[in-house]
Amino acid sequence: MNIKKLVLAATLASIAAGTAWSQTTLRIFTGGQQRPDVMRKIADEYEKRTPGVKIAVEVGGATSDAQQQYLNTVLTSKDSVLDVVLIDVIRPAQWAAAGWAEPLDAYLGADRQKVLSQYMKAYVDANVVNGKVISLPYFADAQFLYYRKDLLEKYKRSAPKTWDDLMETAQIIMQGEKNQNLRGFETAGAPIEGTVCTYLVPLWGEGSDITKNGKLNLDTPEARAPFQLMGRLKQSGVLSPNVGEIATDRIRINMQAGNLIFAQTWGYVWNRSQNDADSQVKGKIGVAVLPSSKTGKGATCIGGWQLAVSAFSKNKAEAAKFVRYLSSPEVSKMQAIAASHLPVFPSVYKDKEVLAANPWFEFAGPIVETAKARPVTPRYQEVSDTIRSNMNAYLSGTKTTDVALGDMQKRLSPVFK
Amino acid sequence: MKPTKDLSERTLGWLLLSPVAVLLAIVVLYPVGQLIYSSFFTIRLTEPWLGTPFVGLENYARAWDDERFWGALQNTVLFIVVTVPGSLAVGLGLALLANMPFKRKWPVRLALLLPWALPLVFAGLIFRWFFDYKLGFFNDILMKIGIAPQAWLTDPVLAKIAICFTIIWKSSSFMALVLLAGLQAIPKSLYEAAEVDGASKWLQFKEITIPMLMPAIFVALIFRTITAIQTFDIPYAMTGGGPGDSTETLAMYIHKNTLDFLDFGYGSALATIMFVVSIIATSGYLRYTQRSAGRD
Repeated sequence: MNIKKLVLAATLASIAAGTAWSQTTLRIFTGGQQRPDVMRKIADEYEKRTPGVKIAVEVGGATSDAQQQYLNTVLTSKDSVLDVVLIDVIRPAQWAAAGWAEPLDAYLGADRQKVLSQYMKAYVDANVVNGKVISLPYFADAQFLYYRKDLLEKYKRSAPKTWDDLMETAQIIMQGEKNQNLRGFETAGAPIEGTVCTYLVPLWGEGSDITKNGKLNLDTPEARAPFQLMGRLKQSGVLSPNVGEIATDRIRINMQAGNLIFAQTWGYVWNRSQNDADSQVKGKIGVAVLPSSKTGKGATCIGGWQLAVSAFSKNKAEAAKFVRYLSSPEVSKMQAIAASHLPVFPSVYKDKEVLAANPWFEFAGPIVETAKARPVTPRYQEVSDTIRSNMNAYLSGTKTTDVALGDMQKRLSPVFK
Repeated sequence: MKPTKDLSERTLGWLLLSPVAVLLAIVVLYPVGQLIYSSFFTIRLTEPWLGTPFVGLENYARAWDDERFWGALQNTVLFIVVTVPGSLAVGLGLALLANMPFKRKWPVRLALLLPWALPLVFAGLIFRWFFDYKLGFFNDILMKIGIAPQAWLTDPVLAKIAICFTIIWKSSSFMALVLLAGLQAIPKSLYEAAEVDGASKWLQFKEITIPMLMPAIFVALIFRTITAIQTFDIPYAMTGGGPGDSTETLAMYIHKNTLDFLDFGYGSALATIMFVVSIIATSGYLRYTQRSAGRD
């Protein structure tokens, strides 16, 4: 009898061991700001459909910079611990150059064109580097102009189309409200990634760009415009004197506390400002395309997160299958409803359930479609560092336009040679 | 003493030391050697197609022409020159205070230990909030006494002051702990004799306390100087090197080049320069301790 039990136990144990043996565990890395809880739910759904595959969600780094610093150490040591990695939209070119991402073309096979044609064009451009599919988009993002609908109505102003318009409206409201804590406008000014967009958006609004035909293009009058604009906004008191220490989430906090009329920031703010218990501005926020100079061509910075398969993964085929699932209209819809993540598929913007959960997607969609990419180069980190630290120095009043622009040219010319 | 016995003792000594020697070779000598070796190559992980060619002293020449490197070096020197004497002075004051005959010694000791036990980056984050323009403690005090709030962390001069203040706050307690141990080793009889001879408190401090405390002061200074050369966490957390690059230290610039820009060749050259600076700065202290050891 005892022997019988023993045999039974041994058989069961070996079956269990056998199934464990045939099981693949995929490890996906995501940032704390990209809603890992929603990623977990999606992974649970995938596990249900795909027997033999377990998904482990690893969370790290609250900012894009912090995440990439961790990933730099993992990937430079060719560590196989990560299979799928969520990367910022600015990274695919760097990842392609460093050889960290497994190109997905072979895994897409004959479907390649069909799959790519479903996405918004900006995201195809961002993820295909030198003809190779480096990653697939997970969700979209862009910078928007957030404004206080109630205050604009009170003073009979419409959402500003130009920067001059914005400044004038902000001044009128600030004078009228006489509220010490109320500021006109806020955008990122600390030495962080978002501050790159603080420079680029007004530059694009002038119809110019950092490079022209691959060559550095900063010796133009347009390249001075972003500095001059921020200088005027700061001098007039529309921009806070401490703009040099403003990082991404501080903008949301200030907007949510009712201390801002206008803000230039990312898509997540809308959801938080409408749903957070402590929000003072529920139902009082409008979203529009960012202003430009007089040319009337508003531009915005593209954001969003992409899914790459690590070149050092030991389960590339399974990882690629998982990535295709994560980058599908079905998952895009799940994310839009659960986390207000902007879809990368034009079709999902029209979905009734998605629009019921996020009425503002109706006008956010067209803005995302026009979003522009930050400079594409394997040495993007140096480009970013140069722009953000000079913009930060200018905003803090330690460099003049001439000095900041001169230093930017000096450091960027070896990158774009 | 017979020479044979002496020899075997020496062999035994080496044998006993060998595990430590091997360990040091693995964790210190090898990485330092690898670092210096890497500094003669181009190693750019962002552009792997460049390969890793030998470039001789090119990385060092690049540092020579790099204004940002000189700026970072200058900031590092400033932080050393201000915070090493600063934390010695504050630390000595705290040590003297803690050495007073309190009824209960542990609350004082605990208060001394806390800043030391706090991770550097936490101290930086806490003080970033203290110095915050809108929500900060310091601006609150300024406004209460009728002074306009200051942009502490976005003004290059004020940011340096704020960082020095935080570093001194953070490192004084370590200085105090070392000095307190030194103070307690001074025999009470010396003070009693001085008292009998009619020496004033100040004279006792100058003629007994300070000379007797010298070895402890030097140990504390060596440790503090080495950590000051490596200053990273506090400015990283408080300003991220800003405004512009005006509070960036050498360690931060090395971190930026290696971990952000993935330029390991140039980063290694900068780290080698920092290593040499450390050696030069501490060799002065080391010579002193060797001399005093020889005297004993």
